[in-house]
Amino acid sequence: MKELPLTEPVFLILLSLAGQPRHGYSILKDVDDMSRGRVKLSTGTLYGALRRLLAGRWIERFKEDDRPRGRQAYRLTALGRRNMQLEVSRLKRLALVANLRVARKES
Amino acid sequence: MVSLYRWLLYLYPAAYRCEYGEEMMGVYREAEEERNNATALQRSAFFLREIAGLVRGALQERWWSTFGSNFSTPFSTGRFAMRSEFRFPKSAPMLMTIILAGIALAIEKARTIEAAVDGHAEPSLFKGVVIIFVGAMAAAVLVWSVLFLLRRSGMHRLGEISAQEAPHDIEN
Repeated sequence: MKELPLTEPVFLILLSLAGQPRHGYSILKDVDDMSRGRVKLSTGTLYGALRRLLAGRWIERFKEDDRPRGRQAYRLTALGRRNMQLEVSRLKRLALVANLRVARKES
Repeated sequence: MVSLYRWLLYLYPAAYRCEYGEEMMGVYREAEEERNNATALQRSAFFLREIAGLVRGALQERWWSTFGSNFSTPFSTGRFAMRSEFRFPKSAPMLMTIILAGIALAIEKARTIEAAVDGHAEPSLFKGVVIIFVGAMAAAVLVWSVLFLLRRSGMHRLGEISAQEAPHDIEN
């Protein structure tokens, strides 16, 4: 798949949406929490990524019943979820190889 | 800072602003409110990160609206995939952009104060500063584009160096 591997901001945004639909500020906070403060997205970075993800149909806009004005939520599409799973599988394989090599080196 | 943020949003294409501008302002306000009790250093880091993200994102959107999204850019904003390539040193132009934006804002504020003291309004420098700013960024992008097309940019030079190294197998 030519879109993989994903950049870290995109991966974290998708990971944030994997659990539930979120609006922009909630994504920023969740990415900050998941990375333990290491990755801090700016609004420019976030919305650049959201725009590309919307164009690629990896995410879609989600209508919340009690949505305040100016606040838009997003959620993963089936395509986005599948690509996310592919990326997670790729990272798992890489982590497995890394563990094997480190264990071999230590022994 | 909200005013500066709103001003920098004008760097984006009009269609982008219509679609995301209000949303981005809302998210920025929420993020700024959360930092009311943060230290001065944390607030400064937040503002610089936001300004740099806006400028970089705006350049990316302008680039894509001109050349299309299939044309590679050195900016990682919004790009899906990682690529093994040299990262063009963005810190220098970003810092220069921030400094220029700060100077432009300071000049505008000074002229406003001067007009209030003197009692007469002078023509605003806002348009002139924006034109110079956008012109300078456009010139920088044009020069880099020419280098890229000639395959003489930093990306290609270091890519050639990297290609000379022995390949590493991930798995045996």
